[in-house]
Amino acid sequence: MHLFKTSPAPTALAPVLAAADQVILGKGHEIRLAVCCLLAGGHLLIEDLPGVGKTTLARLLARLLGLQFSRIQFTSDMLPADIIGVSIYERSAEAFRFHPGPIFAQVVLADEINRATPKAQSALLEAMEEHQVTVEGVTRPLPSPFFVIATQNPHHQVGTFPLPESQLDRFLMRIRLGYPAAAQEKELLAGEDRRALLEKVVPAVTPQALAALQAEATRVRLSAPIVDYCHAILAFSRGSARFVYGLSPRAGLGLLRAARAWALLAGRDYVLPEDVQAVLPACLPHRLSDSADTATDVHEDMADYILAGVPVP
Amino acid sequence: MAERSPPQGRLDPTRIAAATLLVGAAYLPLMGRLSPQISIFVGAVLLLRLAALRWPALTPGRWLLLPLTLAGLGVVFDAYFDFRGRDAGTSLFVVMLTLKTLELRAPRDLRLLCVLFGFLLVSHFLFDQSAWLAMYLGALLLADLALMADLTARPDRRPLYAALNLAGTLTLQALPLAIVLFLLFPRLSAPLWDLGNRAQRNVTGMGDTMEPGSVSELVVSGDPAFRARFDGAAPPQDQLYWRGLVLWDYDGRRWSRPPPGTLPEARPRLTQTAGLIGYELVLEPSGKRWVYALDLPVGPPADATLDGDFQIAAATPLTRSLRVRLVSATRYNTGPLDLDQEAAGLQLPPNVTQRMRALVTGWQAGAGSPRQVVDQALAHISSADFYYTLLPPALGDNPTDEFLFETRRGFCEHYAGAFAVLMRIAGIPARIVLGYQGAELSPWGGWYLVTQAEAHAWVEVWLQGEGWVRVDPTAAIAPQRIDRGDLFSRLSAGNPFRLQIDESGLLFRAVHGLRRLAAGTQVVWQDWVLDFSLARQEHILAAFGLAHLRQYGLALALALVVAATLVLGLLAAAMLTGEPREPLVDIYRRFCARLTRIGLPPGPGEGPQDYARRVAAARPDLAEAVAGFMADYLPARYRDGAGQAQLRGLRARLRRFRPRGR
Repeated sequence: MHLFKTSPAPTALAPVLAAADQVILGKGHEIRLAVCCLLAGGHLLIEDLPGVGKTTLARLLARLLGLQFSRIQFTSDMLPADIIGVSIYERSAEAFRFHPGPIFAQVVLADEINRATPKAQSALLEAMEEHQVTVEGVTRPLPSPFFVIATQNPHHQVGTFPLPESQLDRFLMRIRLGYPAAAQEKELLAGEDRRALLEKVVPAVTPQALAALQAEATRVRLSAPIVDYCHAILAFSRGSARFVYGLSPRAGLGLLRAARAWALLAGRDYVLPEDVQAVLPACLPHRLSDSADTATDVHEDMADYILAGVPVP
Repeated sequence: MAERSPPQGRLDPTRIAAATLLVGAAYLPLMGRLSPQISIFVGAVLLLRLAALRWPALTPGRWLLLPLTLAGLGVVFDAYFDFRGRDAGTSLFVVMLTLKTLELRAPRDLRLLCVLFGFLLVSHFLFDQSAWLAMYLGALLLADLALMADLTARPDRRPLYAALNLAGTLTLQALPLAIVLFLLFPRLSAPLWDLGNRAQRNVTGMGDTMEPGSVSELVVSGDPAFRARFDGAAPPQDQLYWRGLVLWDYDGRRWSRPPPGTLPEARPRLTQTAGLIGYELVLEPSGKRWVYALDLPVGPPADATLDGDFQIAAATPLTRSLRVRLVSATRYNTGPLDLDQEAAGLQLPPNVTQRMRALVTGWQAGAGSPRQVVDQALAHISSADFYYTLLPPALGDNPTDEFLFETRRGFCEHYAGAFAVLMRIAGIPARIVLGYQGAELSPWGGWYLVTQAEAHAWVEVWLQGEGWVRVDPTAAIAPQRIDRGDLFSRLSAGNPFRLQIDESGLLFRAVHGLRRLAAGTQVVWQDWVLDFSLARQEHILAAFGLAHLRQYGLALALALVVAATLVLGLLAAAMLTGEPREPLVDIYRRFCARLTRIGLPPGPGEGPQDYARRVAAARPDLAEAVAGFMADYLPARYRDGAGQAQLRGLRARLRRFRPRGR
């Protein structure tokens, strides 16, 4: 429906996007969405099959932006302490000392999040929402920026705990990477090992500059027609016969937050309807479910459906 | 002394007297129509005015005018308890105009009075449209013009006939333009002077039930039902089914909605949708809650609900016109059937006869699936000698049976009703949908007009795997057996506009005898002025070999009207401060309209930037102009808001932007 933007990013981020394109081939739009999600201060859910580059994307972003990285592989026997850390009695100090868990990093890759039990999932999701963890009565802030990239397998297999809608709502965006196009895949197969390539990547932006950009994203100008547009989208989802229930106000806030970051990435200081449309396919569908209950139902794509149904102000 | 040679800037009493008498004369026909106290007040003020000419000491000063004005307001309010509506509004206007005569000091006061006098003349047509009144008012108008002409005369006063001469000449010069405008002015299918009587007539519209005759009565009324404007291209005419009520219950004679509560309020379900169309409707007041929507709406508009059977109900009955935005899917599947709908969709009336069952059994024998039963039934209507007519014979106690086997003449409600019953006998859930079919594109503005003449009834049957499917048995009638000849005779017979003669009016009692003699004149007046309708307009144009003038000549006439409106609009804009609301939206609409004309309309839900890119890709020669427009428009609309300078710049760009098709 919409043309993907190709306008240059602000100078601070242009090298990031350019370098990322060198490592993950042919996924410019997805990388842009991921960076947009980070700029908007949201968390990202990648729903895709193993081996399409989810981990590489997470590592790459961490390295390019000069952020600490950690990875949590979710399993069914995982406990909250495995994620947020644990206090252990130390004989030498004669006191309990807190050993921070893997969540204390700036970029956290939560791999296969739907393999863990709801208990472990909720520990992560609470940390995501609050930007802090509380262990034994002590509240510890998480590093800033704090960016969680969670991945899950799209097919509900035996032994998985699919995230309920309320938890999905905590992710600003859900994207799919998908298989690369033929040309890019051949280049990938013939080219250098991605791991080695990743090692060569040097930070292209300082954490301070990143924080400044995040602050700038919140100042991108939002005009009344755009607010009207966003509201019309929410109202459409609530009135439409296709959806079981409509979008929450939080979804609307998230959509506008992402649209602002997208506008900033396009080097603009105000939001256009196209910014909303560009991020909408990533921001909304995971918060909606079709009222049709069988898998054979063929709908037009959910995002296209909404975009076609709501006139641009 | 002052009377003989009035100083510059003063009015001489003769003119004031003439103006006062004119107002009095113009008020006379209204005397019997407005409340007596209005007449007393108006008469008193006019007498005071005339007396003040003889005895100048009586002239009320400003200190008296204010209480008089308040008294006038009080009298009107006391008579009607309102300032709106035909009677109260006219009264208020007359009272204020009369008071204005007390204020005639300088020539400009008189000029204003003369212009306002024109409005007083026109307001008479809200009450009465007879030829005699028109002649009387025409004479008054001539006198009014003469007074104005006299006002511009040089100090060496011209005699009366000179002023009349000038006024007459001006009138004659304006006459051809008036006639052209009268002939070519765009007509709706309603009569010209219909506005005033709307409050007194019952609002016509679709009822809540269907029985033989209910729709065909509606069809002859021809009143507008609603207007529609599509976001993109309109669907073809045969797809324009506007659904309204869905009827389930049939008692053997009448189809109706189930009583509230019997059919559980299920959420509407759609398992497949495609071909989404967004559009805007402006519904005429109907006194009912039903909102019409193109088959099949995917969701309700604001302040309305969508029932399980895709019937939209507004929160309150439509007592005034309502504007709604809707999205419909032209291809859809409503999925499986729930038990309540199945039970409601299969219930049979008590008067199903043996030959009806036999007919259905015959179809079932030759059909393998419900879909084939439906097809056989449609084939039966097409091959047996069924006729479509607006004047079907009266039917007795069992209309379905009589219609199917004896009369075989009917209108859409006969066909839909009988078809639904037959489907139910065959075990196929069926329901009736009342609504409208088709729409007439108005040549300007892109609006589609749907009138009561498009009222229609059709059937929906539920088929496994397809959900509720629309079947229109009326469309299956063989074309040669559609009797349209009687439509026009009934249209003219049922025309709502008969001459209204109020015997109590003074003028009418006076001319009563004369009118008998001149009944013929009235008929001509009625036919050629009052009932000058769309159809007649087309007839006249065709008689002059100008049948295509609807496209060309009307556009010319429209251009004249637009020019006049523009002048008035500019005057209004000069008087009012500030810009009209959302001028940027207007500018962008016009930008889109120009591109639409060359075959590049904006897509549904397409943003301005994407649109500009698409246009630039399709027409590289326009890329620069489009990019330039967007460079100004986007920040103005989505960042800063537009100041006067930006608006001027954008308008200038728009003026230069004249894309041509290739």
